[in-house]
Amino acid sequence: MKHKTWFTLMSILVLASFVLTACGAPATPTAAPPAAAPTTAPQAQPTAVPPTTPPQPTEPPTAAPAAFTPLSVSAPDCNYGSADIPAQIKSIEAVDQYTVKFTLCSSDPAFPSKVAFAAFSITSKAYLDANGGDSVTMSEQPNGTGPYMLKEWVRGDHITFEANPNYWGTPPKDQTVIFRWSDQAAQRLLELQSGTVDGIDNPSTEDFAAIEADPNLTLYPRAANNIFYLGMTNTIKPFDDVKVRQAVAMAINKQRIVDSFYPGGSTVADQFLPPFILPGYTEGLKWYDYDPTAAKALLAEAGFPNGFSTTISYRMVDRGYLPSPDKVTQEIQAELAVIGIKAKIVEEESAAFITNTSDGKEPLYLLGWTGDYPDSTNYLDMHFANSNNKQFGTLFPDLVNEIKTASTLSDAAARQQHYDKANELIKQYVPMVPVAHGGSADVFKSTVEGAHSSPLGDEYFAVMNQPGGQLVWMQSGEPAALWCSDETDGETLRACIQMYDALLSFSIGGTEVQPGLAETWSSNTDLTEWTFNLRKNVKFFNGDILNANDVVATFASQWDAKSPNHKGRTGTFEYFGAFFGAMLNTQ
Amino acid sequence: MAAQLEIPSLPIENIYERRSPAVEALRRLVRHRSAQVGFFLLGILILVAIFAPLIAPYDPTTPLYDVKRRSPPCIHLLGCPADQAQHIFGTDSNFRDLFSRVIFGSRLSLQIGLTTISFAIFIGGLLGAFAGYLGGWLDNVIMRTMDVLMAFPSLLLAIAIVSVLGPGLINALLAIGFVSIPVYARLVRATILSVKELDYVSASRALGASHMSLLFNRILPNALTPLIVRGTLGIATAILDAAALSFLGLGAEAPTPEWGLMLGEERNSVFNAPHLVFFPGVAIMLTVLAFNLVGDGMRDALDPRLRGKNI
Repeated sequence: MKHKTWFTLMSILVLASFVLTACGAPATPTAAPPAAAPTTAPQAQPTAVPPTTPPQPTEPPTAAPAAFTPLSVSAPDCNYGSADIPAQIKSIEAVDQYTVKFTLCSSDPAFPSKVAFAAFSITSKAYLDANGGDSVTMSEQPNGTGPYMLKEWVRGDHITFEANPNYWGTPPKDQTVIFRWSDQAAQRLLELQSGTVDGIDNPSTEDFAAIEADPNLTLYPRAANNIFYLGMTNTIKPFDDVKVRQAVAMAINKQRIVDSFYPGGSTVADQFLPPFILPGYTEGLKWYDYDPTAAKALLAEAGFPNGFSTTISYRMVDRGYLPSPDKVTQEIQAELAVIGIKAKIVEEESAAFITNTSDGKEPLYLLGWTGDYPDSTNYLDMHFANSNNKQFGTLFPDLVNEIKTASTLSDAAARQQHYDKANELIKQYVPMVPVAHGGSADVFKSTVEGAHSSPLGDEYFAVMNQPGGQLVWMQSGEPAALWCSDETDGETLRACIQMYDALLSFSIGGTEVQPGLAETWSSNTDLTEWTFNLRKNVKFFNGDILNANDVVATFASQWDAKSPNHKGRTGTFEYFGAFFGAMLNTQ
Repeated sequence: MAAQLEIPSLPIENIYERRSPAVEALRRLVRHRSAQVGFFLLGILILVAIFAPLIAPYDPTTPLYDVKRRSPPCIHLLGCPADQAQHIFGTDSNFRDLFSRVIFGSRLSLQIGLTTISFAIFIGGLLGAFAGYLGGWLDNVIMRTMDVLMAFPSLLLAIAIVSVLGPGLINALLAIGFVSIPVYARLVRATILSVKELDYVSASRALGASHMSLLFNRILPNALTPLIVRGTLGIATAILDAAALSFLGLGAEAPTPEWGLMLGEERNSVFNAPHLVFFPGVAIMLTVLAFNLVGDGMRDALDPRLRGKNI
C-alpha cells in the first residue's frame, strides 16, 4: 500500500517533469526576439476607422472640379515615431496643381532614389478613394500612367499587357507584352530554347556556359546590388587587434570563392559598395591581395605566431549574396586554417543569428546585405555609422564622421570625396572583409532589340523590340498583385513598373535617378525639403489628368495609418517603413 | 587358460566429448553463412579504419587546389586520362577527395557504434540488473521511467536531447546512447527475473553469498548472451541514428568526414552530382549490413535450443 502511494507520487513527478520539459523546450527558440527587422512596420486597422474627423491631418473637402484645392497631410511634430523606427516625414503637401513638396524631419540625400522606387508609383486620387486602397481590387483594373495597360490577368497562367495609346513618354515598341512564370529554372530555359518565350529570368548557374555558347540567345548578367562579407566583432579578442583583422583580410581567397561558389555575373568585392553605387564607390581602390604568407607574418606580429582558435558562424539561408552558405563557410574555414586560425563552424537559426551578430556576440561570421535603394547611405550608414548596430563592435569615430558628413551633402562630387576617405578607412580598419557581389542574369533571344538586365531587377519592356510586336517574358513567380504600394517581391514590382510611373525613375538597366512623373526636382540646402514639379497633361488609363493631389493622396495612403486608403494587401507597407520611417497615427 | 576377456574400447570421446559452450557457439558461428559474410565485411571495415591514413590518398578535410568541384570519379584503370589526378570517388563540393573522406568516415562510424552501445549497455545493464534483482518500488520506478523513454520514437528523443545540449558529435553520441538504454535495461531485467529463482542461486544464497556477489557472479553472467546479440544489432541502429542526426546537422560538425554529414550536405546534389551521395550512402549501408549479419549469426549461434544442430 505504502509502495503504491510512493509509486504514484513518483510517476506523477516524472510525468510532470516531462510536461515541463515539453513546454519549456519550444520556448527557447521563440525567446529570441525577431530583432534587426527595421522593415517591419506597425500593423494598421484599415477599415475600422470611419473617415469622420481625422485628428491631425488637415484634409479639406474634395475639390470642386473647376478650382484646384491643394491637399496636404502633415504630422503635428516629429515625435510620432518610436526609438526603433523614427519619424522621418513631417508633411506632404500640394503647393499648386503641379507642385508637390515633402518636408522631412531629418536631411536625406537619398530621397530622390527612394521616391523613384516601384513601390511608390502614383495612381489617381479618385481611383484610390473608389477602391479604398485595396491592392486586390486595384489589381483588377489598374489605373496607371505607364507605357502598358493591363489587358487580362489569367490567374495562375499569364498576364497580358497592351500598349497605352496615351502614354506621355516614348511609345512602347511592342504592342503586347505577356508575363508568364515558372519556378523551375530548367523549364524556363527549355521554353526559351524552344521559342515559346522571348526572355527568361534567373537561369541556373550550371546553364550559363550553354547559354553563352548558343548564338540564338544572349545572356545579360545583372550587376549585383548586394555585398557578401566576413564580419568581425572588434570587441571580442583577438579581433580587437587591427593586425589580426588585416591578416584575416589577406587570408581570404576571394577569387576562388567567387569562381567556385557563385553564378555568372558575380564579381569579387573590393569595397563594401558595389561599383555602380555613385557617389560612393571609389574608383581604383583595391582590397588587400590574397597573401597567406604575409597574413601569417602579420598574425605573428600581433602575437599569434601559431594562430588561435575561434568560431565562425553562419545561417543556412540562400541569399543572392551568398548562394551556398555551408560550402562557403567550409572554404573560409579551410583558408583560415592555412594561416593557423582554427575556426569551429557554428550554424545558427536565422533570427538568432541576426540577433547575435547585431548584438556583437559573434567573433567571425558570414553575412551580407542587399541594397534596398541604390544609394551609399543604404550601405554605409546602416553598417558603419549606426550606433544601434554593434555587428562590428565599437564604431570608428573618424569613419563615422566621414559617412555622416557625406550623408548631409547634396553635391555629388563633395559626397564622393568623403566616401573616398570612408572607403580608405574601411580598408585600413577592416571591420569586415568584403568578399563578393552575388550576381544573377536574364536571357533574351538575340533578336530582341533593347534587351537588358537591371541591377534592381526592374527590366523595362517598353524599350524592347521583338519583331512581330509581341514579347513573352517568363519569370520565376507570379505577381502577387498589380498595385505595388504594399509589395516587396521583385516578381510583383517588375509587373507594376510596366503600368505605373513614380515621381522619378531609374535609368534603363541602371540605377541613375532621372525624371519620371516629375520633370524637375529640387531641395533646400539641408536636404529636408524636397519639391517636385510634375509633368502636365499626363493621363491616367481612366482619363484623369495627373495633378499634385494624386501624389499627396498616394503617399498619404501609405504614410497615414488612419487613412481610409491605408489597406494594401497585407497592410504592412514594408518598403515605406524601411525608406521613410514611422507611419502616422499608428496608436 | 583364462580366456582373455577383451573389453572393446568404445569410442567414448566421440559421443560424450564435452566442449565448453563458448567453443561450441564459436564453431556454429564460423559455420553460419550470413555471419561469414558479415565478418568478412566487418573485417574489411576494421582494417580500413585502422589503416585509413595509409589508404586515403589525400587529407579528408583540406580542400585541394587545381581540381574541379563536384567532379565525377576519375579512375585511371577505367580510362580516365592519365594527366588528370585520380579521384576514385570524385571530388566533393569543397574540393576534397571523396574517397579519402569515405575511408576516414569508417573510423568515426565504428567509434560511434561501439561507444554509444557500450555506454547504453553499461548504464542500461546496471539499471536493469538492480531493478530485476531488488524488485519492489525501485523496480517500478526504474522500469516505468524506461517505459516512458520507450514511448518516444528514439530518433525524435535523440533530436530533442541534442537540441537541448547543442549540436556536436559528442552530444549526439550521448543522445543516442541515452535513448538506447531502455532496451538493454529491459533485456537484463527480464533475464534476471527468471534466473534469480533458479535453484543454484538459492544454493549460493544458502551458502552465504552476498547480494553483490550473487548478482554479479552468479546471475548476471547468464544475461550476457542476449546482451551480446542485442548489442551487435544495436551497433547497426546506433550508426544509422548517428548518421541521421548528422544528416540533420545535429551531429558531426563540418568538415568532419562523417558519412551522415556528407549525405546531408549534398542532399541537393542527388540529381546533378549523384556520386556525392552514392558513395557515403553505400558505405553506411555496408556497415549496417555487416553488423546486422554478424548479430544474426550470433543469435543463432548462442541460442541454446539450437545447440548441436547444424545451421
